Amino acid sequence: MVKLQFDWESAGNRFEALVNRFVKWAFSFRGGITLVCLGGLLCLPLTGREYLVTIVITAMILAIFAASWDLLAGFAGQTSFGHAAFFGISGYFTAALVKFYGVHWFVAIFIGAGCAVIFSLLIGIPCLRLKGPYLALGTLAFALILYNLFLTGDWLGGTEGISALPNIGDVFVVFYIVAAFMVASLIIMRAIVDSNLGTILKAIRDDEVGADATGINTTVYKLIAFMVSGLFAGIAGALFVLDTTAVNPALFQPLYSFYAIVMASIGGIATIYGSIVGAFLFRLTGELLRPLAAASLLIFATILILIIRFAEEGVMNPVLGHVQDLWDKIRGR
Amino acid sequence: MQRKVNIMFLEILIFGTIRGALLALLALGFSLVYGVGGLLNLAHGAFFLITAYILYWTIPLLAAIPALSYYPLLFGIAAVISLSCVVAIGAVTYLGLMKPLQKSHIGVVIVTFALAFFFEQFVSFAGDPKSHYIVPPVPNIVTILGVRVLQQQLVFVLGSVILVTLVTLFINRSKIGKSIRAVSQDSEAAKLVGINTDRVMMTSLMISALLVGFAAVLYAPGNYIAPRIGWGYLLLAFSVTIFGGMGSIPGSILGAYVMGYATSLTDYLINPSFSEIVPLIVILVMLLLRPQGLLGKKGLQ
Repeated sequence: MVKLQFDWESAGNRFEALVNRFVKWAFSFRGGITLVCLGGLLCLPLTGREYLVTIVITAMILAIFAASWDLLAGFAGQTSFGHAAFFGISGYFTAALVKFYGVHWFVAIFIGAGCAVIFSLLIGIPCLRLKGPYLALGTLAFALILYNLFLTGDWLGGTEGISALPNIGDVFVVFYIVAAFMVASLIIMRAIVDSNLGTILKAIRDDEVGADATGINTTVYKLIAFMVSGLFAGIAGALFVLDTTAVNPALFQPLYSFYAIVMASIGGIATIYGSIVGAFLFRLTGELLRPLAAASLLIFATILILIIRFAEEGVMNPVLGHVQDLWDKIRGR
Repeated sequence: MQRKVNIMFLEILIFGTIRGALLALLALGFSLVYGVGGLLNLAHGAFFLITAYILYWTIPLLAAIPALSYYPLLFGIAAVISLSCVVAIGAVTYLGLMKPLQKSHIGVVIVTFALAFFFEQFVSFAGDPKSHYIVPPVPNIVTILGVRVLQQQLVFVLGSVILVTLVTLFINRSKIGKSIRAVSQDSEAAKLVGINTDRVMMTSLMISALLVGFAAVLYAPGNYIAPRIGWGYLLLAFSVTIFGGMGSIPGSILGAYVMGYATSLTDYLINPSFSEIVPLIVILVMLLLRPQGLLGKKGLQ
């Protein structure tokens, strides 16, 4: 008889190896910077400046959103211009559940994100017949039509949308909830991208015919990428609505898809973590440009054109590379 | 009763033709640019927007000149100015943004998407985000077969048919048209036989800008213009192109008129707000049943 026994020793070894890896990562250049930034972020509410905290909350939500776009476009190569659709669908369902059915916000987030996943399947199945640029336009069409439907239709509040949702809690409580969601979502997305699945997605991105020839069912994997991306975009949408306590059809505008693309491109496409850098830069510059209200989006459109045209790698990796060189020089290596 | 049905049928026919004329202008250029260079121009709707706004801005400027008191003449000059502006914008877009990014198709898509946003924000920054109204040059109403139509719309249909025919002839008969077709079939081979592919693509983008600008000049007066309208026209051009076949010129024209009648039919039979969904249904059904479009080539790229 085979003795079923939990192997404490090997589990312990694996745990130890994990801890070792973490310590090694924490003392590496990138790991150190990440941890310092994370620590700084978590200490932010201690300053007690409510305004700054609300800005950072939106930045964190948008970071999840941008990263979900990055996962789909940067890694799977399926450029979506209708990401606002996932964002808005989840936002609407979350708002309706919380407002009309009194569902707890934590449950509502996941139901809303689930709706976004189902919707991403609905978008994904017809759109997978489109490749490259046409996929982008197809998804844009979906988002635009949803926008028009919610604007002209009178269901779920029509033009006004749903407002006056109950607050989750204090600004600082919201801050930590959103921070937890952001850290978890980004780590999960990065893990997905680094896993076997991520390799397959990259293969599809780089050479779809080749991937098909090696026996990868590209349709299934592209759909998986759509669903994962829809899930996280949905989480971001639900958080966004819960944070602003209102939802209206404007959420479906191409504007929000544009935000995601701007943020991911600023941070660097196909990096996932770049989205955080992009989102924070985007939100903070947006705040600085507030006096120029009408011109701020014009400036962002110009920035996006310039970044795509002249610096396709974005900001994060080149800057980190330079800083690392400098750091190595200082330490005399 | 019989007479009422007759009038309704005629109305559907006439308004469907007007719609089809608009869609043909929008889709032809869009399809041409994709067919020639595989470039997807998301700023296509924004070209419409910027033409309409340049027209809207130049009319009061020209009205200050006392010699131009006759409105249709003034409108004509403003139209020529805005058309030449949009054609120049098309050329600059190709040279500055599309040509350097041709290697990555996604780069072109993102950059034109950003350009569309740029134009949208530009008009709401330079002007204001409110809706505006351009006075049509020929505001009279005529009655055709018992249906009351704006003269403006008749001119539009006529102009659209003439321009579409001219462009089709240009592509089929002229020397530049020949090289456009050569590049669309095989750009590498076209390069080998000494065709300047960059210039061909620039020409096709300029033709596309001219077509969409023409649509704006004749369609925007009498309708409201606002910074966000560009996206709607882009969506229309896209659905017609999918319907008619990507990169197929006869397909786009045929698709445009079929879509035009379909939209006007839904307007009358079901509900005008339902016609918003027609493009989506068309895109969905076509993608599922016949992804290469009505007259498209086999093997979707």
